[in-house]
Amino acid sequence: MTMERDSAAGTAPATDVHEFVVVSNEPVADGVWRMRCHTSVAPLLAPGQFVNVAVPGDAAHILRIPLSFSAAHASSETLELVYAVVGEGTRRLSGMHVGDVSTMVGPCGNGWALPTRGGRALLVAGGVGLPPIVACARMLAEAFVGFDVIVGAQTSAKHVEYLLDELRRMPPGEGCDCARKVLVCTDDGSLGTRGFTTDVMADLIADRPYSQAYTCGPTPMMAGVARLCEKRSIACQASLERMMGCGFGACSCCNVALTVGGYALCCKDGPVFDAREVVW
Amino acid sequence: MSKDARPRMAVNLGGIEMRNPVNTASGTFGNGEQFEGFYDVGSTLGAITCKGVSAEPWEGNPVPRLAELGGSAILNSVGLQNPGVPGFVKHYGSYLQGLRQKGCAVICQVAGHSLEEYARAMELFEELAPFASGFEINISCPNIAAGGAAMGATPEAAAAVMRTVRPLTTRPIVVKMAPHDVAEIGRALEAEGADALSLINTIPGMSIDVRTRRSRVCRPTAGVSGPAIHAVAVRMVWECAKAVKVPICGIGGIACGEDAAEMILAGATAVSVGTANLVDPLCAARVVEELEQWACDQGVADINELIGAFEC
Repeated sequence: MTMERDSAAGTAPATDVHEFVVVSNEPVADGVWRMRCHTSVAPLLAPGQFVNVAVPGDAAHILRIPLSFSAAHASSETLELVYAVVGEGTRRLSGMHVGDVSTMVGPCGNGWALPTRGGRALLVAGGVGLPPIVACARMLAEAFVGFDVIVGAQTSAKHVEYLLDELRRMPPGEGCDCARKVLVCTDDGSLGTRGFTTDVMADLIADRPYSQAYTCGPTPMMAGVARLCEKRSIACQASLERMMGCGFGACSCCNVALTVGGYALCCKDGPVFDAREVVW
Repeated sequence: MSKDARPRMAVNLGGIEMRNPVNTASGTFGNGEQFEGFYDVGSTLGAITCKGVSAEPWEGNPVPRLAELGGSAILNSVGLQNPGVPGFVKHYGSYLQGLRQKGCAVICQVAGHSLEEYARAMELFEELAPFASGFEINISCPNIAAGGAAMGATPEAAAAVMRTVRPLTTRPIVVKMAPHDVAEIGRALEAEGADALSLINTIPGMSIDVRTRRSRVCRPTAGVSGPAIHAVAVRMVWECAKAVKVPICGIGGIACGEDAAEMILAGATAVSVGTANLVDPLCAARVVEELEQWACDQGVADINELIGAFEC
């Protein structure tokens, strides 16, 4: 089957090209950078959506870079992007200076949805899956939904401390009878628990009941989170990553295999999917 | 002509009336709707060419379908994922009808793995798609019976596809040509009643991840597109235009008005913006403006005067 989903409700802001001006751009962990920029797309973005960024400086690389965001401030029209320098495009992005101008296409895709049933939420982030999870946490805090967070990274130096602090400082959910846990793990044991987020998650869900999970990170990690959720009947939303062409459903390059057969498009139908819909 | 007079920009692509020469390459523009946030498609472009559609739904290829090549080019292997003609008409028919009403031509692309599949898709389009100004036949689809070689790989095979679809519609038929033997295959298609030709499709290429020794996309070979192929495309349009009398839609690496102007000078009546739509969603609208400015600067009253005006 081929997915032809109907367009989102007519009230959603249209995807457009927006100029952005770099306000700051600096490393916040080993190989991880934070760019704050001023852009008219900021007030239009919902948590979990993304922007497709044109990075100047190299005519040989023509595609934009899809990036999720950790915060979008409507009143100041400021967007905060936290990104790993992993390839040619993000290396150039890290070279952009304060005052530099380029464009981003957005808002792109569908973001996180609030839980449809009451109860506590569990957020699981791996590597640079953290920024959209922070945006999700803020959405939950504003909706008075209680949540815990598990954040994994390869090693201590790759953990983005200031985002962990933000997660700890967000107000607790209304009617929540237990304190928030922000659990950290590393592959090498240099910070928090030694091991994977899914190991930490297995222990945590044996201890506390959750009705909803949100996850973003490497695909094998999200697959593990989805499996644990399935066993415990925890609803699970996962934000997927794909190589993307346009970012708004025109080229069909960012396909995601579905359990019902056929493909959805990560940019237009996602990037957030119900984990049960996805072939992991 | 006076300095302020604007040149006439309308062109006729084999019976498809276009308000200006700017069209979009199939597969790079969704079905138009996705670009409405960027500009008013129906009031701006001469035509759009929809994604390739087959009689039955096609799943398309597995992940990954796209790689950036780093030389102003990308490599894709989407595999014509589409919902089938009835699904396509259900989802996009009313939008595309609206484009027609605004004066933008709508070209529906027809795909098939066999002559029978082309015929079935064409019949369904003819019955269900009154909004189509004309059809573009994609003869680069893999031929299942021939082990996956392109359906129109030879003049004889291309002619066979054309003979199959020609009796099934009175509306204009454009044929989307692969980037080889364009003069010879173009002549064969013209002889079978093609109203226009569009070229070039992506150029077959490969990209190997040397660490994993695997293709960087889901198939060993895939289609190269982007600014890198522009010069090749201009040359093929020129060769084809010398060989046939039917009008040509020039496609390949067009990212600005100057690129489009080159195509027209080489012999193209219309042009399609492709990969650039993904990179700069405003590109096709900008090409409309820049092309008009170029015609104005050339001092012509009508852009048709510049078709094939290359001086060698």
